[in-house]
Amino acid sequence: MSKALLKVENLSVHYKVSGGHRKQVLKAVTDATFELHPGETLGVVGETGCGKSSLGKAILQLIPAANGRIIWQGQDLCTLSPAQMKPYRKDLQLVFQDPISSLNPRMTVGEIIGEPLRVHSPQLSSTQRSAAMAEMMERVGLLPEMARRYPNEFSGGQCQRISIARAMILNPSVIICDEPVSALDVSIQAQICNLLRALQRETGVSMVFISHDLSIIRYMCHRVLVMYLGRMMEIGAGKTFFSQPRHPYSRALIKAVPTVDFDNPSAYLDNVIEGEIPSPLNPPSGCVFRTRCAHATPQCVQTRPELEPADDGTLIACHRWRTLP
Amino acid sequence: MRTVVNCKNLNVRFRTDDSLLPAVSDLSFSLNAGECLGVVGESGSGKSQTFLAMLGLLADNGAATGSVTFHHQELLHAPRKTLDTLRGNKLAMVFQDSLSALTPTMRIGDQLAEVLVRHKGLSKAQARSKVLAMLEIVSIPDADHRYNSYPFEMSGGMRQRVMIALAMLCSPEVLIADEPTTALDVTVQAQVLRLLDGLKRHTDTSIVLITHDLAVVAGLCDRIMIMYAGRAVEFGSVRQIFENPKHPYTMGLLRSVPGMASDPDIDLPAIPGQPPNLEDLPDGCSFAARCAYAMERCTVERPELYRMNNNRQSACHLEDIS
Repeated sequence: MSKALLKVENLSVHYKVSGGHRKQVLKAVTDATFELHPGETLGVVGETGCGKSSLGKAILQLIPAANGRIIWQGQDLCTLSPAQMKPYRKDLQLVFQDPISSLNPRMTVGEIIGEPLRVHSPQLSSTQRSAAMAEMMERVGLLPEMARRYPNEFSGGQCQRISIARAMILNPSVIICDEPVSALDVSIQAQICNLLRALQRETGVSMVFISHDLSIIRYMCHRVLVMYLGRMMEIGAGKTFFSQPRHPYSRALIKAVPTVDFDNPSAYLDNVIEGEIPSPLNPPSGCVFRTRCAHATPQCVQTRPELEPADDGTLIACHRWRTLP
Repeated sequence: MRTVVNCKNLNVRFRTDDSLLPAVSDLSFSLNAGECLGVVGESGSGKSQTFLAMLGLLADNGAATGSVTFHHQELLHAPRKTLDTLRGNKLAMVFQDSLSALTPTMRIGDQLAEVLVRHKGLSKAQARSKVLAMLEIVSIPDADHRYNSYPFEMSGGMRQRVMIALAMLCSPEVLIADEPTTALDVTVQAQVLRLLDGLKRHTDTSIVLITHDLAVVAGLCDRIMIMYAGRAVEFGSVRQIFENPKHPYTMGLLRSVPGMASDPDIDLPAIPGQPPNLEDLPDGCSFAARCAYAMERCTVERPELYRMNNNRQSACHLEDIS
């Protein structure tokens, strides 16, 4: 296995929430530990409240970590002040879900895409900056002539291209894509997926691709991390994950994806897991998934399963994964 | 087959500051008893506005012309009184955003009971027991307690099931579900779809499923209408559409969606370009600019819906064999 580019160790993210008159702590992410390798796409998948977006933001230090370390080039990012963090931001970029609201409506597209250069490479002349910007616009499929226009003149798909150009212009090592296609129309999603893959082939950028859509994850990612209620359930190679999911939650997720099968059109509706995701303010004892798991035993109520390695390197947090049918 | 809803030459226009926006143009289709019709299209394709127009729910700056009948009774421009006896009773709708579709200041039990008191003349006590039974059917746990909940106290999946319960209370003849699962998580989406699947199997209700998700349509619908830029571009049975799509837009849509069986090593065959601006539609086919098969004729002459064998229709000059 190639050397890790970024290491996340025992990362936890907490939010303070005030529910009525008492203050509580919401544990959005608990004990996340994984590595990101050069040139790979790591998919982070899970349902609402599983902590996937918090994880992405914490890696970039956009929200503080409660515990744990994020090791980047030998440096723990969690210990840095915002000013110390600034030079690292050049290498760690982000693409948001909502392409419209993540662009400043009062800046032209050229200003938006060129801003990272202005901040991180102030030595460049404005001509050099414009040239870099025009080149980047072409690479993401925008016409350089569009640089003087404002975001409201663009469609959602084009705005997402602008976001990607802004993230890529500093030639980062890692981009974190938080649901980058879920707000887009079906026919546009494929364009953006292809664009991200092409940029990765050209530059070798590593991606953390956060999504709730398993078919997109399957298509985009080399490895997959499944989260539920803030905890890692399973992490492993994408191909094995989709052909042989081992955690009961991973299986339930894959099973619930609507599939086209005319011999048995509603097959995916059989054995749907029941119930809903418990409140992250009050997660179940033991295994957080046990309240919806068909295989739960008293052991699952009492002790939380640790991540265990399978022969192929996949890690699974389940007491029973070895013996499940 | 008995036709329940018949839509003929429906046009929906929205007045904006400087133009008339054609949201739906010249749309004709019928809905048969007990069938499930899938309406597939992207944002701005007119799929929701078609059915909002049918129920008299267009925004103030919108106007509909043409005809939509329910058992030969005209719905467009019908008096409010007529619509009130039908809506929520014979014709029910499930909206995408369950939080804004339910009244925020009313307990959900009371919102449901109101429907039965109003349309079926039940007493409050009778309505309550029927509502509780319906909440059980849609798998709301602890229905007795949930009866007194406000919408904001429930999860999105639970609210969506409450909306389906609300729509089903009067055993409607037509249930229109507008992106009923788009805002939901996958596992909860499957629960809601299973509910609709059960409805389809066990009742005579005709279901219209409006969605952008082709896979959802495949599992549930009998027939599909594909819409693009305000027009129907293809009709066919679900199998015909998936196994032998005729319109280039349908073909592109099917190919560009990554499935759980597609090869992840190959780039997705995406449809290039983007949907046209409704304020500035081309003279010819609205899809021509993105179409790999476009001919000169496509840019000047709009293709009509050509009828083919087996009740199929496609609005593409490729089907013009005359």
